[in-house]
Amino acid sequence: MENNANSNDEIVIQTRGLSVSYGERQVLNNIDLDVRRGETLAVVGGSGSGKTTLLRHLIVLARANVGSVRVLGQDVSTLDEQALLALRRRIGVLFQNGALFGGMTVLENVGAPLREHTKLSDSLIDELALVKLALVGLDADDGLLYPSQLSGGMRKRAALARAIALDPELLFLDEPTSGLDPLGADDLDELVLSLKAALEPTIIMVTHDMDSLWRVTDRVILIGEGRVLGQGPMAELARSEVPEVQRFFQGPRGRAAQRQSVG
Amino acid sequence: MGNNNNNQQTAAVLSVQDSLVRCAGNWTVTDIHALEQQIPSVQWPEQAMLTFDMQAVLRIDTSGAWLLARTVRDLEAQGKQVSLHGLSSGAQALLDLVREAGGVSRRAKYAKPRPFLFALGQSSLLTLVRWGDMVAFIGEMGEAAMRLVRQPKRIRWAAVLHELAQAGHKALPIIGLLSFLLGIVIGYQSGVQLRNYGANIFVVDLVGLSMLRELAPLITAIIVAGRTGSAYTAEIGTMQVTEEIDAMRSLGIAPMEMLVLPKLIALLIALPLLTVYADIVGVFGGMVMANVQLDLTFGTFLERFDDAVSLDSYLVGVGKAPVFAAIVATVGCYQGFQVSGSAESVGRRTTLSVVQSILAVIIVDAAFSVVFSYLDI
Repeated sequence: MENNANSNDEIVIQTRGLSVSYGERQVLNNIDLDVRRGETLAVVGGSGSGKTTLLRHLIVLARANVGSVRVLGQDVSTLDEQALLALRRRIGVLFQNGALFGGMTVLENVGAPLREHTKLSDSLIDELALVKLALVGLDADDGLLYPSQLSGGMRKRAALARAIALDPELLFLDEPTSGLDPLGADDLDELVLSLKAALEPTIIMVTHDMDSLWRVTDRVILIGEGRVLGQGPMAELARSEVPEVQRFFQGPRGRAAQRQSVG
Repeated sequence: MGNNNNNQQTAAVLSVQDSLVRCAGNWTVTDIHALEQQIPSVQWPEQAMLTFDMQAVLRIDTSGAWLLARTVRDLEAQGKQVSLHGLSSGAQALLDLVREAGGVSRRAKYAKPRPFLFALGQSSLLTLVRWGDMVAFIGEMGEAAMRLVRQPKRIRWAAVLHELAQAGHKALPIIGLLSFLLGIVIGYQSGVQLRNYGANIFVVDLVGLSMLRELAPLITAIIVAGRTGSAYTAEIGTMQVTEEIDAMRSLGIAPMEMLVLPKLIALLIALPLLTVYADIVGVFGGMVMANVQLDLTFGTFLERFDDAVSLDSYLVGVGKAPVFAAIVATVGCYQGFQVSGSAESVGRRTTLSVVQSILAVIIVDAAFSVVFSYLDI
């Protein structure tokens, strides 16, 4: 199905015939998906199109009843709990509302995966957590705050710092710019780009934000009614002749974002 | 870890030869803990110029880069000059990045502990404020209740009935079981003593009076505090966290009317009824025990019950129930509104709600006993 020129690129995520239904309702229908190492892929689609369900399967929080999902070369349906934990360690996730632990300070939140999964000393963990905070543009004083004391933008940044705590190979971002003001959203796009340049993870993001799609992604997959309606770089999708794809990208917002990014 | 690509299980290492420092292995977050412990005890050479050879390093991530940057920084602080060789361009970029990030100003990590007197004053004031809050809450509740009395149409009967089913009907099994067992225990303990004096028949007095006057209302209130009061706190607290309470206020719906008063009304109805039920089942438990242990027939028991237990005793017990109901509902709802921010806060407030309402119920019960003994009831 994928016909890319450099076919020897390593595939880090592969789904074949992935189908999910909740009772009568078919949420995902026969999804084939390949993600190459180092690319930035966006999954887009209207509300209720199955994006979030797809994401939950890719981050191995849910397992498929039909079809196969391979993450970092391992078939997730064959893994036991131990292997799953090891696999999840190589995956970082930024949840939509941050999902920071409310009972810990920001610094403790960022340090939590390090404390769980490594034998490093507490002082080094604190230093590393501070470095990660600095990478996402927060300072040491912010680290002493509790999540409930943060603004929306800061919460996203703190959650991103926690997601990259273990230098994951796969970084999932669930609606990274939702709930942010336009400036904050621009800043977050910048941040994702700079992290991408520095840490070189493979990024899979779910987003509605047309500006992010133009600025950050290498490739976009449009999902609707549980099927892949179209995929390719943004510039290609925007020119697509397929009616469903056109409808999604040629709305007023889509056009405005395109004008801005093209010039 | 079961990685199947090129990162072998190789811990990061560092060895010193004259002025050359050879680094090797995976300088990654999972593989640097041994190195971290080794570094403080490394014998750095005397030379002022050190060269780090990074050629043999397989992989490096931010954690490894930070460890390297920190080591170099510490060496430079000792007046040595350090040069790095063999870093890939990606690793160099990473190193620059963490150096920049590590240079961000950091102030004192934890606030200085307050002086003792300051802390004492602060906590006393906070306690006072909290009592003030509680009084304000009760006032608000009373005001809303008065409004409802004047406009009874505004009472949300659907909510009241729902709460009544939750707090009353669904509590029947647990309250029945516990008061039955309590009746058995009281009957047994009294029977053992009374048999020695041949005063078997007085088991009826002991079981009847203690059950009706004290134990049934108390045990019912305590169960309801643990079962329903905690549920009130958790429900309102979670709504507070998800901003549902704010949404209600902004829609012009008073949370007092929508949430608190239906609960209060439901408990005011449910708790006296539950107490009567506990009276009956508890006395029945005592009756069963008396029959088994002292051969007192049910008929004799009930005959004596009529003489021994006055209507007053029954009314005293049931009369306490609405007071207990008001305490449980008020504390439960008040603590719910005190929740702020996090899931942990919901847990803490729920615990507080149960502890405080049980405490208050027992204190008030003791106060009742004192008052009744003055009034000679």
